Amino acid sequence: MARYFIRRALSLIPTLFIVITLSFFLIRLAPGGPFAREREVPEAILQNLMKRYHMDEPLFKQYLRYMGDIVRWDFGPSYRYRDLTVNEIIDRGLPVSMSLGVISLVLAAVGGVAVGIISALKQNKWQDYVAVSIAVIGISVPLFVMGPVLQLIFGMKLKILPIGQWISTHGLKAIILPALTLSFPYFAYIARLSRASILEVLRSDYIRTARAKGLKESVVVWKHVLKGALLPVVTYLGPAFSGIVVGSIVIESVFLVPGIGRPFVQSALNRDYTLIMAEVVVYSIILIIANLVVDLIYGLLDPRISYK
Amino acid sequence: MANKKLQQAVNEFNQVMKPVSLWADAWKRLRKNKMALISLFIVSIYILISLFAPILTSAGVLIDYRKQVITNASLPPSLKPAGELVVKKIEARIASLEQRVKEKAEEQSAFGSFFNFGATDQTQPESAAEATPSDQGDTSAFTFTYQGEGFSGNTTDPVVRELISQKETLEKVKAELDTNPDYKLVYILGTDDLGRDMFARIIYGGRISIAIGIVGTLTAALVGILIGAISGYVGGWLDNLLMRFVDIMYGLPYMLIVIIIMAMIGEKARGSFVVLFVAIALVSWLTISRVVRGQIISLKNSEFVEAARSMGASSWRIIFRHLLPNTLGVIIVFSTLMMPSFIMNESFLSFLGLGVSAPDASWGTLVSEGVRAMESYAWQLLGPGIAMTIFLFCMNFLGDGLRDALDPQSKNRT
Repeated sequence: MARYFIRRALSLIPTLFIVITLSFFLIRLAPGGPFAREREVPEAILQNLMKRYHMDEPLFKQYLRYMGDIVRWDFGPSYRYRDLTVNEIIDRGLPVSMSLGVISLVLAAVGGVAVGIISALKQNKWQDYVAVSIAVIGISVPLFVMGPVLQLIFGMKLKILPIGQWISTHGLKAIILPALTLSFPYFAYIARLSRASILEVLRSDYIRTARAKGLKESVVVWKHVLKGALLPVVTYLGPAFSGIVVGSIVIESVFLVPGIGRPFVQSALNRDYTLIMAEVVVYSIILIIANLVVDLIYGLLDPRISYK
Repeated sequence: MANKKLQQAVNEFNQVMKPVSLWADAWKRLRKNKMALISLFIVSIYILISLFAPILTSAGVLIDYRKQVITNASLPPSLKPAGELVVKKIEARIASLEQRVKEKAEEQSAFGSFFNFGATDQTQPESAAEATPSDQGDTSAFTFTYQGEGFSGNTTDPVVRELISQKETLEKVKAELDTNPDYKLVYILGTDDLGRDMFARIIYGGRISIAIGIVGTLTAALVGILIGAISGYVGGWLDNLLMRFVDIMYGLPYMLIVIIIMAMIGEKARGSFVVLFVAIALVSWLTISRVVRGQIISLKNSEFVEAARSMGASSWRIIFRHLLPNTLGVIIVFSTLMMPSFIMNESFLSFLGLGVSAPDASWGTLVSEGVRAMESYAWQLLGPGIAMTIFLFCMNFLGDGLRDALDPQSKNRT
């Protein structure tokens, strides 16, 4: 197990390396730089700017320098936000984005499994139909439609929840709408997934055995069915978390959450080279680690899997 | 006669059985699935309308989606002609303005004896959005009172000025009601802030979104099939190489890379949606290639492939004429389910301002424009949002139905 973990953790490095290299050259090879604006900058100033950001050096040298900086976790100054280093922007936004993401994932997983259990146990009754309809709606409504519509209903018409910003301005209430919106599609998918897999497990031989030896129904459901049925859900948590992380880019823009998603879009539009690169690195690390964690949980839950 | 019967399949009662092809069988199963059929119907309608939208426009059924009628800006969905709505809107505005003038007059008369009588009030934070229609019955009486107090001459007051100009506009609109063709237009889903027909915009937005969905899916499917088939059929080091490559691509946060590509291409190239779908398609072929590879591996040692090979068929022929037709069911199912995610991704980018740019608009662009105006003109958000959701909903249902129909073994999986 420990060896497997170390091997997986090491396999992070090549993937990250590829992501960074690919993004670096994609960004640098595109026409137009961060200093290309409507207002023409005098040649001398441009020269000095290029020098300050080491952009007058050959591309490959810049690449090596950048790799060295990243290893030291130094992302350099932002090209557009002159007063801030990229590290400051990331440090400020990351806790916000992470808490939004984790809360949404927990909401999606707990809510989804709960609804899945109810609708599987009440198969073809009204509870089931309601759950299945909600699930299909959840999968079809795009985040950026769902978010504004919730803002419209709860924020502007009913005026019971703040429509934007974060804990510092509105307290814990501020989390409710963004987290609900962000988790909804994954909640829906997990509900569908767990319903289907519970139904499948309920028909399996070992459940019949458990019932045949006279176990109480509650024990059968909670100890035997769930343990087997939750495996597909756990596998899905990895992709779900990636989806939530990417979705949070939009949600942060809709709800004005001060995370790292909004600066990412802004930096992409502004060609803020250092900031884009830092965002890509941070997002990639989050996604890759999430997949690793899911793999490990999977191994803990399923005794048939052994790690070598 | 007897000879002919011998060649036909016969069941245990010696009745001739019609051969049932995979597709006929699948269609039979699909027909039983009501939701999938309804979805198929709705999806077909969307596609037909999208295809024939230019013809509908030139025939005069649809209003041109680029036509801006500034007087008809932000009208609510209605079956009435635009003129009536414009009149109603201006009347509501006038009523609210009069209400404000009245309040101010009261304020003025209360403070007027103590403070500077002619003081102008410059604080007018309220916008048209907050205009609330009040009862219009007492308009004339009220106008009389405030004129009586000698207030009307004060044209520096912005509220009074707007009131006067709004009344002039109302007269003009009423006079033109029967002559101006713009006031005869019917906007069933309302108009946007530039007075463009929302219904036409949604249809044209759908054209772009659906086109990107279809073209992107086809591209991704072609690349995926090609790589999956080669990898599965050839096997060995090539298979290893290709699949490791796919693994690495899977590990990449692809939406981030698409965002970077879109941002880096720059404003001009971004406008053309060809770039957009290529960017998404480049990273969407992975799943299909894995699925096709798996299918090919499980089929490539079967008897019919052996037979084809023994008759001297080339590898390409075996792949394209024998193996791929057998994986078509899976490919169709995956493509159907891939399309909504394509449309979703495209709209996601357009929503962030990285997708289709003006004057073209996809559903994502329309939604993001609607969000800006949603507080006062909710229909500008709800129209494209609902249209898009219905389409995605039906595509998902259709995909599920097709999977159940084409691949009955996986019936209870999601």
